[in-house]
Amino acid sequence: MTRKQWMRNTGIFLLFGGPSVIAFMAVVVIPFVVGLYLTFTNWDVNTGDSSLVGLANYKQVWLDTVFWQQLWFTLRYVFCTVVLANVAAFFIALALTGGRRGEQWLRTGFFTPNLIGGIVLGYLWQTLFSQVLPYLGEKYGWSLFATSWLTDTDKAFWALVIVTAWQLIGYLMIIYIAGFAGVPGDILEAANMDGASRMAIIRKIMLPLTVPAIVICIFVSLSRSFLTYDINLALTKGGPFNSTELATYHIVQKAFLSNEYGVGQAEAVVLFAVVAIVALTQSYLLKRLEVES
Amino acid sequence: MLKKVAPWLALLLILSLLAACSQGKGKSGASSDANGEVKLTFFNTSAEVNSVFEKLFETYHEQNPKVTIELIPTPIGGAQLEKFQSLLASNNPPTISNLDPGTILQYKDKFLDLDSEKSKYEGLTKAGAVENALLDGKFLGIPWTAQGYGLLYNKRAVEEAIGGTFDPASIKTRDDLEALFQKIQAAGKAPVMLHGADWSLGAHYLGLTYSLQSKDVDTNLKFVKGLEDGTQSLANNAAFNGLMDTFDVLKKYNARSKDPLTADYNKDSSDFAKGNAAFYFMGDWTWAVIGSLQGRDQDFGVIPVPISNNPADYGNTQIAYSEPKLLAIDNSGSSPAQQEAAKKFIEWLVTSDQGQKAIVSDMGLALPYKDVKVKSTNVISNAVNEYVDQEKTINIGVINYLPQDYWAKTGASMQKYLANVIDRQGLIDEVQAYWKSQAGK
Repeated sequence: MTRKQWMRNTGIFLLFGGPSVIAFMAVVVIPFVVGLYLTFTNWDVNTGDSSLVGLANYKQVWLDTVFWQQLWFTLRYVFCTVVLANVAAFFIALALTGGRRGEQWLRTGFFTPNLIGGIVLGYLWQTLFSQVLPYLGEKYGWSLFATSWLTDTDKAFWALVIVTAWQLIGYLMIIYIAGFAGVPGDILEAANMDGASRMAIIRKIMLPLTVPAIVICIFVSLSRSFLTYDINLALTKGGPFNSTELATYHIVQKAFLSNEYGVGQAEAVVLFAVVAIVALTQSYLLKRLEVES
Repeated sequence: MLKKVAPWLALLLILSLLAACSQGKGKSGASSDANGEVKLTFFNTSAEVNSVFEKLFETYHEQNPKVTIELIPTPIGGAQLEKFQSLLASNNPPTISNLDPGTILQYKDKFLDLDSEKSKYEGLTKAGAVENALLDGKFLGIPWTAQGYGLLYNKRAVEEAIGGTFDPASIKTRDDLEALFQKIQAAGKAPVMLHGADWSLGAHYLGLTYSLQSKDVDTNLKFVKGLEDGTQSLANNAAFNGLMDTFDVLKKYNARSKDPLTADYNKDSSDFAKGNAAFYFMGDWTWAVIGSLQGRDQDFGVIPVPISNNPADYGNTQIAYSEPKLLAIDNSGSSPAQQEAAKKFIEWLVTSDQGQKAIVSDMGLALPYKDVKVKSTNVISNAVNEYVDQEKTINIGVINYLPQDYWAKTGASMQKYLANVIDRQGLIDEVQAYWKSQAGK
């Protein structure tokens, strides 16, 4: 390769990739590295002191039992959300790829929650859970809705799961629909001719051929539910009595309410590690299930 | 042709991007120049009145063309401290800051000591207003608003239930209160509304424990330090047990006893205003919700939270009163000219007709100054002011010295107690564990 060619290649790369590389550096890589550095200091706005303290912050994280409880809570929440959102999205997508009348409208309808911000969504469901449902519960004697779901530790957990899943379903549904569209028509036709049942077609043909879509969907729902903050803030505010604080919520409280920036940032790094390990493991495992049609 | 130009074009794009990123650095938002023109910035944490302040700044600029004030707004209830911290961290501090006293105390080295102004403001304000605003004995923030809280009552609802006129002074003890609640309940009305949010339970209710130890802030602070190092305990503390015994009464007669943690602030306030509950543990700030409500009652008042059966005990005839926001002037990056202009503006704000009208009628807040020509429409804060004028107030200044997260953490324990998840001993254990975790911080 001549020098001139090299120059040209670099130039073309910079032209197309440069802006996004710089944006990525500015908003992801640099803050991440600075954030990592912060976890080794005792930085404080007030004193301006930022001397290195080694692993002291991580030791604090280790001793912060509440954080580990919230992390375990977050893991349970993520598991339930991912399962619920994906199962629901898969079957909704399946129901909406049959070529029936009015499908586009239904697709739009299911996708809409995704376009509403988490804060608005949270307040919307808060009214539903704490006003509308108890009202109906009282009127028709449904004991399940007699009191607000948000004031009971277990029901508040499910309220969080349901609202997050509701928001995610529309987005995942679009990916599944795209995945189903990629299943070749001739295979389905052949299966039909051979007399395969609807269930058998789903299990033996649709599922294996949409593994790439499933991998993407699980990855997206995993990372998005791990990093949920807005819905948590607007729906339950961590309550009742801090029982529904997700890890992200706990971190923000730690840093900005309790003024322990170093510890909060170190907890954020721990959360990052957990998310990375879970997300990479699942995509590695599921990728092996991919087949060629 | 394009191929030759492309790399340079890319470089140009990158450079312009970098330039865009670094814009604003190096030049401070607030400055003053040679011909006497001063530019000030005003950081406001009373987010609900941002627009009133903006109008005031315009009025002030018309009267003093050389002074321009720019508002740095914050969102209601979110990311206010984060924003203030980032302004400090980037060496771009606001000239005037409207902050909670606790925040000013936390960053006390960054603010101007207003000792030279102290005697002037002592003359202007109501008795005790300046003294209550002192932080570590220093006058760092000028008071401009005051709030009081206690058991608010809906006059019509109470009087209908008891079938006669209600004299608030007749409630001097816990037993008086319980007898009244029984009457109201017998008349088929909910006696009291207890708002189940952590800030109400943790800061306003349980927070009284620390303020009721004595009339002196330093003694109260020593009590909190005693909780931290374990030399004090709540179990045998008279103020704490008295408060919690009264809390049990409130809990028993709570209008929301079926689902006490729902804590819908607007609904609780409007239900009280419409007479669905006779009493409400809240403060005069709730007028922001009640004032503009359709079909509400007209007459409201406030009584203290009785904490014992001895009418003479401190707290049984006094209501909690504080200055929730102070105006502080920056001393970490502002010029003397800016500081002087800031002092003049604050004085104008609290003494001029326009300033007082904006605070009292537009914002609906109580102004703790002697010579206020505007009459407030806030019925509850007028009721609070009657206690202030008789000097029947509890000085809750100790909360300014408490850690920023105390209300959220101990409020959660209070919520558990309210929902019967833990008993009195469990509450004591959790609250004491919180204070012990604060030792040495």
